[in-house]
Amino acid sequence: MPAGKRAGLVTWIGVLLVAAWGLVQMAPILWMVSTSLKPLNQVFALPVQWLPHPPEWANYPDAWNQFPFGRYFANSFIVSLSVTVLNVVLAGMAGYSLAKYHYFGQRALFIAILSTLMLPIEVLMVPTFIIAKDLGWLNSYQGLIIPVAADAFGVFLMRQYMLSLPDSLVEAARIDGAGELGTYFRIVVPLTWPAVLTLAILTWRETWDAFVWPYLIITDDALRTIPIGLERFESQYVTTYNSVMAISTIAMVPMVLLFFFFQRAFIRGIALSGLKD
Amino acid sequence: MRVLDAGTTAAAAPAGAAPRVRRRSFSRWLRSAEARHQAWGYLFLAPMFLLLLVFKFIPMFQALYLSLTSYDLLSPPRFVGLRNYADLLVDPLFHQSVAVTVYYVFGTAVFIWVLALAAALVFNAPLPGRNFLRTVYFLPAIVPVVVYAVIWLFMFHPYGLANAALHDLGLRPLQWLADRRAAMPGLILAALWRFVPYFMIIYLAGLQNIPNEYYEAAAIDGAAGRQVFRYVTLPLLRPTVLLVIVLSIIFMSKVFTNVLIMTGGGPGGATRVLSLFIYQTGFQYFKMGLASAASMFLLFGTMVFTLLQLRIFRDDARG
Repeated sequence: MPAGKRAGLVTWIGVLLVAAWGLVQMAPILWMVSTSLKPLNQVFALPVQWLPHPPEWANYPDAWNQFPFGRYFANSFIVSLSVTVLNVVLAGMAGYSLAKYHYFGQRALFIAILSTLMLPIEVLMVPTFIIAKDLGWLNSYQGLIIPVAADAFGVFLMRQYMLSLPDSLVEAARIDGAGELGTYFRIVVPLTWPAVLTLAILTWRETWDAFVWPYLIITDDALRTIPIGLERFESQYVTTYNSVMAISTIAMVPMVLLFFFFQRAFIRGIALSGLKD
Repeated sequence: MRVLDAGTTAAAAPAGAAPRVRRRSFSRWLRSAEARHQAWGYLFLAPMFLLLLVFKFIPMFQALYLSLTSYDLLSPPRFVGLRNYADLLVDPLFHQSVAVTVYYVFGTAVFIWVLALAAALVFNAPLPGRNFLRTVYFLPAIVPVVVYAVIWLFMFHPYGLANAALHDLGLRPLQWLADRRAAMPGLILAALWRFVPYFMIIYLAGLQNIPNEYYEAAAIDGAAGRQVFRYVTLPLLRPTVLLVIVLSIIFMSKVFTNVLIMTGGGPGGATRVLSLFIYQTGFQYFKMGLASAASMFLLFGTMVFTLLQLRIFRDDARG
């Protein structure tokens, strides 16, 4: 059958194209990793050496020990964890309030909260910097955490999810005397797990990756996060390409691991993340 | 509307609810189940609302106010009316910055619309090893933003991989980020590397939502590949296409970190996008008022596209 044959051919051309394009997509990353294992004098050798032999594993500890990267990683971890927990907990409560209660001004409050999503960080960076400065939060963990946790996307996400839970469930729990807090934490929260996971991964990723805000408010080296530390390292050791690439590779690993473990939640989050900055 | 809702809820509430609220019985109403219900509603909302109040609402109005002042962070802000806006309207650097932003945003977005759709169509076909390839293909989108910028800074090194590729193709090497004309195409190339896979995922979700029956019906009617695409896939994909168009524009206008690290706005302002203009005006020249006025232009642009996006989301949900 000619049609079937043609479809087969098209499929294989498709596979080849995709594989070739996949290689092009991977090339910059592969080049980064291979450069991180080269001696400096071979970095720009032509033709391009994809597999350095012998690999200079020492580039990694050498680069790592130039800057307090352990500290930067710890800071990134502390900040990402705090922002994620704070945002998910408060957004969950706010979403519950908007979905399962009825009170005066509720709709107006919801619209006001939603409207904050369209504020780009460039508009907020000057005034938020001034507020953080007035609060004495420059160069502090609370400065890195609390303004970032103020994000309405989770409120929107959790509200939509909780609207899909039946009201009767909440009412039954109340009639059983669970109390308002008990109803929320024991009945509602366990049911919102998928939304919580999506929100937590999105928030973690964005915070781990955040550059602009920490760049503005942190000058104290002991408080730098990974992205800031990497940028500093890059600008200071700009010509020791192998070291810069070694640190970049290390910085990439946690994100890639997170992606492999939570691929589905990641991808689910993408379609949603349009509303988030 | 919700006020009415609250009234009806009170009437329909289970035993113990207060009767319809009258002014005379307000103190009794305060002790009623309905009042307790409303109070709990506010309580659950309050913590997040307070955070948003302090770090979103107040800064928003402060930005508006600061845009009418002259402020250098040291002495208190001085009211100057609309002078910042007037200054910006005649500032050639600001004009350049707006033009550069439009160049970057649309130069990237147009390619994204087409390339991401093409990639999604390929990945939607039942290819062997598709899931593995999709994961590989998606990697650039999850690389941390600073790593992305550093990689491409290195790619565009005069002896970097970009020029090595040009060399292999028999073309002359470029100065890329140091060249006034090549710097922006370089940034766009890097952005496509990162964002085409991202938008491919959104297209893929849209493609997978198209019921198979349509394709089967088209096959029975004898439609060929191109016709299927033209008369079945594309019309049914319309909401997704709209979403990608608006989202990509919003995303691309949020450019900052990659430009800051890769070019710092140079050479000669050829890549100084609006966000970088605001940053430099505010935090390098300490003209917070002027920076805020410039940010109002950015806010206006983003707002238009975000409202469009919300509309699309709503139409989508409706059906």
